[in-house]
Amino acid sequence: MQHFIYRNTTIEHLFGNDNVCYSGYDDILTIDIVADMFIWFYLLPIKSDRESIVAEIESYTKSIRFIYGNIPANKPFLIFTLQEFYGVTNRNDDFSVELAINAFNADIVAFAKQHKNVKIISISDFTRNYTNEQWIDWKYYFTSKIYINPHLAKPFKNWFAKQVDAILGIRKKCLILDLDNTLWGGILGEDGIEGIRIGGDYPGNAFSQFQQSLLELTNAGIILAVCSKNNEQDVLDAWQKNPFLILREEHFATYKINWDNKADNIKAIAQTLNIGLESIVFVDDNPTERELIKQVLPMVAVPEFPVQPYLLPMFFEQLQNDYFSVYSITEEDKTKTEQYKANAQRESMQHNFTNITDYLASLNINITIQKADDFNIPRIAQLTQKTNQFNLTTKRYTESNIHEFIHEGGLVFCINVKDIFGDNGIVGVIILKKIDEVSFEIDSLLLSCRVLGKGIEKAFVLYILNILKKQSVRRVSAQYFPTNKNVQVKDFYERIGFMLNNEKSESKSYTIILEDNDFIIEPYLKIEIK
Amino acid sequence: MKERILLVFKRTFELETVDESISQKNCDKWDSMNHLNLIVEFETEFEITIEPEEMGIMKDFKTIETIISRKL
Repeated sequence: MQHFIYRNTTIEHLFGNDNVCYSGYDDILTIDIVADMFIWFYLLPIKSDRESIVAEIESYTKSIRFIYGNIPANKPFLIFTLQEFYGVTNRNDDFSVELAINAFNADIVAFAKQHKNVKIISISDFTRNYTNEQWIDWKYYFTSKIYINPHLAKPFKNWFAKQVDAILGIRKKCLILDLDNTLWGGILGEDGIEGIRIGGDYPGNAFSQFQQSLLELTNAGIILAVCSKNNEQDVLDAWQKNPFLILREEHFATYKINWDNKADNIKAIAQTLNIGLESIVFVDDNPTERELIKQVLPMVAVPEFPVQPYLLPMFFEQLQNDYFSVYSITEEDKTKTEQYKANAQRESMQHNFTNITDYLASLNINITIQKADDFNIPRIAQLTQKTNQFNLTTKRYTESNIHEFIHEGGLVFCINVKDIFGDNGIVGVIILKKIDEVSFEIDSLLLSCRVLGKGIEKAFVLYILNILKKQSVRRVSAQYFPTNKNVQVKDFYERIGFMLNNEKSESKSYTIILEDNDFIIEPYLKIEIK
Repeated sequence: MKERILLVFKRTFELETVDESISQKNCDKWDSMNHLNLIVEFETEFEITIEPEEMGIMKDFKTIETIISRKL
């Protein structure tokens, strides 16, 4: 299952790199056609200008509709709700950000109701288990631009996987239950039909509530079955005669009550019901039985069972969340009128961005190209060390390497990108080696992923080529070296007009003759050199 | 302690084998994201806090061992 995630900050630690692709930061244009699922995961930027945060949140709903208009309608589009984790204001009556967040969340929920491939994931469902101090680790924020504490990455991954299962409707089908000390307190064979603890005072009331919850599960389409070491007749009698039992024979699809080993019994139940073992959950208070099933039938889910009956409500909640939750969608028919209304509305929203150029123009992107100098060389060297994805040759350099390039007649430029959301700082580097008076070679070209997908990369290179052309340089050569991380740029030079001369598994080489080409930069990008 | 450090490496980088010669230079999997994962795993495993100044230099086994043992 290939995911494509629209994001505005570093979140690789939360979603990993297996079968996941990421947009650039704030990039809504990239459409990954091979993805099976699209995800919107934005975090509020951390800054003190409340007004600009509000403006940013307000822009999200437009962006989401824009993305929705471009992705295939049959593929799920998961949208995370927003939550503020760090907000500083000097006014207690300033609710602007809170209101904007509420409006955003309400908007996406309404949006999902009208589009059946859109699903909402509530971030607070995960974050309520943590305090704000746990949620942000400022050390990682300042060192790695990582906003969500990486110590929470594992629980996040598990939680997210469950959300996806629920959305895809992947859930367990059948719950197989033990009886003694699982569905009631005590042992039927010893305590007798009247002696088992069910109903009345503790612990009987805890078991009653547990049975009631399980009964609700059957209403949600989950099959219950029994696998118990008991005399079958004793159990049948109890089901008939004990007035406090809630779950009785008719609630179970099938049962195996005997003294055989439970692994064989569970296999028999699966066969009877014609379901796979992987869709079964087995609940038993006896750790030995649980261990046996885990060993012999590893595809059966076997949760731990609480020793104290008063913990049963929490156990049930976990059971429900881990195995049986399902993302229910509102029946379309109920909202037909709303749907028509909303479609009309969406049309008008999209008019805001009838095309990509309009969208990009609305971002007010300003690119400043700077020649390498003592102030920016440390950042240039750092970018060569850290950048993996948009990096054509992945050569790592130190500050003194950069000085050498310049010393030997090479050209080193970096770019600074600003847009309506703020200043991204220095985010890209190009290093050109001088071959002779009329030819240069692009030794390195790289861009931080936060600015990708807006045409900046192309404009950057074309602008540099223009500069060279004006200096009567005739040809520029370039290379691409594939790595595990930089697949996305394998055709970059082709895309911007270079000629492919040679392709091998470990490299591709290109040239471009400057006098044969006009390098026109999209008018929505303001670009200048300092 | 050496063993525990090596186990963290194995787990984080999903390696079959690992020894004390490991360093960022000779290990492909040791990229910036995995460096972060590694630091997080060490913090969890040894119940310590690793400071930013230390993160920056923990790029080979020996340095890692020195820094962690200082904290225990």
